[in-house]
Amino acid sequence: MDHLIDVLIAVVTGVAILTLISLGLAVIFGMMRVINFAHGEFIMLGGYTTVMATRQGVNVWIAMLVLSPLVVGLIGAVAERLIVRRFYGQIVTTMLATWGLSLFLIGLVTAIFGNTTRGVAAPLGSVAIGAYSVSAYQLVLIAITIVVTALCFLVLARTRWGLIARGTMRNPEMASTLGIDPVRVYAVTFVIGAALTGLAGGLLAPISGVIPHMGAAYVARAFVTVISGGSALIAGTVSAAGLFGVVESAFSLIATPVIGQAALLIAAIVLLRVMPQGISGRWQGVRS
Amino acid sequence: MNVSRRTILKSAAIGAATAIGSAVTRAPALAESDTVKVASLHDLSGAVDVYGIPSHMCMKVAIDEINAAGGLLGKKIELKVYDGQSNIKNYPRYAQQAALEDEVVMLQGSITGASREATRPVLRRYNVPFVYGTIYEGGLCELNAISVNTGSDQQAVPLLEWSFKNLGKKVFYIGADYNAPRNIGIWTHYLAGLHGGEVVGDDYYPLDVTDFSTAISKIQAAKPDYVHSCLVGGPHMSFYRQWAAAGMLHKVPIVSIVFAGGNEHTVLTPEETDGIVVAYNYFEEIDAPENKAFLKRVAASAGPDHPYVNGIAIGGYTGPMIWAEAVKKAGSFEKDALMAAVAQGIEWSGPSGRMVLDGKTHSTQQDVHIIQVKDRKWSLIETKKQVPPYDFGGRCNLLANPKNTEILVPRV
Repeated sequence: MDHLIDVLIAVVTGVAILTLISLGLAVIFGMMRVINFAHGEFIMLGGYTTVMATRQGVNVWIAMLVLSPLVVGLIGAVAERLIVRRFYGQIVTTMLATWGLSLFLIGLVTAIFGNTTRGVAAPLGSVAIGAYSVSAYQLVLIAITIVVTALCFLVLARTRWGLIARGTMRNPEMASTLGIDPVRVYAVTFVIGAALTGLAGGLLAPISGVIPHMGAAYVARAFVTVISGGSALIAGTVSAAGLFGVVESAFSLIATPVIGQAALLIAAIVLLRVMPQGISGRWQGVRS
Repeated sequence: MNVSRRTILKSAAIGAATAIGSAVTRAPALAESDTVKVASLHDLSGAVDVYGIPSHMCMKVAIDEINAAGGLLGKKIELKVYDGQSNIKNYPRYAQQAALEDEVVMLQGSITGASREATRPVLRRYNVPFVYGTIYEGGLCELNAISVNTGSDQQAVPLLEWSFKNLGKKVFYIGADYNAPRNIGIWTHYLAGLHGGEVVGDDYYPLDVTDFSTAISKIQAAKPDYVHSCLVGGPHMSFYRQWAAAGMLHKVPIVSIVFAGGNEHTVLTPEETDGIVVAYNYFEEIDAPENKAFLKRVAASAGPDHPYVNGIAIGGYTGPMIWAEAVKKAGSFEKDALMAAVAQGIEWSGPSGRMVLDGKTHSTQQDVHIIQVKDRKWSLIETKKQVPPYDFGGRCNLLANPKNTEILVPRV
């Protein structure tokens, strides 16, 4: 029994991490159709913010939950104003521009902090489950992921702002005739996506540590998750993260971690072959 | 510029002529000058500079020491430095440049297995002796190359023997997913059989994995007496972090022959690493006057905040020193004379004690220390005196078979 719970927590942690790294991209790519190649670097910057702030004596929770989203949100605002804004609607150009941004950020962080791994110790210690023990931080990470996901869903689906944002993405001309400034809505949405990604980076720092090129490990998985999620941003992304996280963790446990990673990709290929619009492609009326 | 086929052919011909010309003129140039050049080819930037920078630092200390003692055969040594930039394609290029343009008499570096394999054939072609200074998976058996550090068997054999005796019979092996950790996995199975132990599980992780929750869950379920870890690189440091966060650090001990090679013990906190046991031929805390004097020279050369000199970095120092010993014995910098001297064995004593370069395997017999970390400092548990290099059941014998260039893998 305790073994089962232990395994379950490992699997859910995998799902939670996948959800966290994909949420910001779901907003920026899923909603705005901006292929943000610098997504991994936003995660990296969130991680660095937490690690560096903690070293300066800032409480680790404040660093993760407040500073990381704030700093990366600000960086996102600058990037949107200077680069992304010029290329809305031009997918290939955006891709190249954000790729450049990604290389620039890796270079910048390497120049400032050096090309070495840094990290913070996970807070909270461990929890015993029968004969097993798991990191308490892992459980908190799962809880935070649930709360953040629920908040995103509520904001997008239930608030006036969420309605305006979704409407603007669907039809900017129509929105502007109704007195909404699409440029501003785009900017704010991009910043929120960046801040969510920063939060993910901050929360991952105690688990993974940070290094300038760490983003590469996350960006592909985030894109696979969001694309497979389909048009229902939050529900789709969570479903895809749930499916892939379970597949990857289960195969890692039964076979080897390499098979786990391969299984994730095979699951994604099969899924997109059967459902080219993604998991939520055929859901009607529940698009959020 | 208008590039025609003719101009390309012309410049290619000139390039080839220059290359041939410099190869031909090499020998007289060597005789006339009162300095000789040796090359340091390490990654001084990029992803794996954590290994390159300290090794290069130690190599510089060695060359300075040789020069301070009057040089070699009446010549001063000039160190030519190339930065591999953690990029394999630089290695053959710089090796060629070192051999043909700078006419070096020895090249040391190329730490990662891939860079070593890119460098070796180039140096072999131009008869430039290659000194390999890092710990590695073992099996380098080539007349033109000497390995002064330990093969992984020289670490794994003493470490696992100690572990099976003192920690318990059940081991869980966890490693990065490429050839060296897989070789060490084979050794782990072999040594478990030898010492009446049991491998209750083994698992290999791609180098970019950072989430080890399934790994930790698997290890807990297998209930080993200790974990043998061959996880490598920055992302894999997460394992130690998550292992400690799960409260396992003081429940199940970890032993390793690669931990601390990238100075993991200074990056991670003491709460995440205390108690981990490793085996290396060198650690800074060795209590010997030769070592203290050596560390003083390192501090004088690289400043007091120099990177920790670990079992990988020390090869940067012992490499040129053992090579210099061989040059003295040969009375020549030329490859054939040098290797004839090596064939008889080269003995030298340094900060890590007595070392004997074996003429048959071109690998080095040396002391290996089993050490434990606490508060980022290492303390000695046990020293295995003069651990010999593995000869692959007689398959590595450069006296009988000097043409071998193939990397040998254990058949155990």
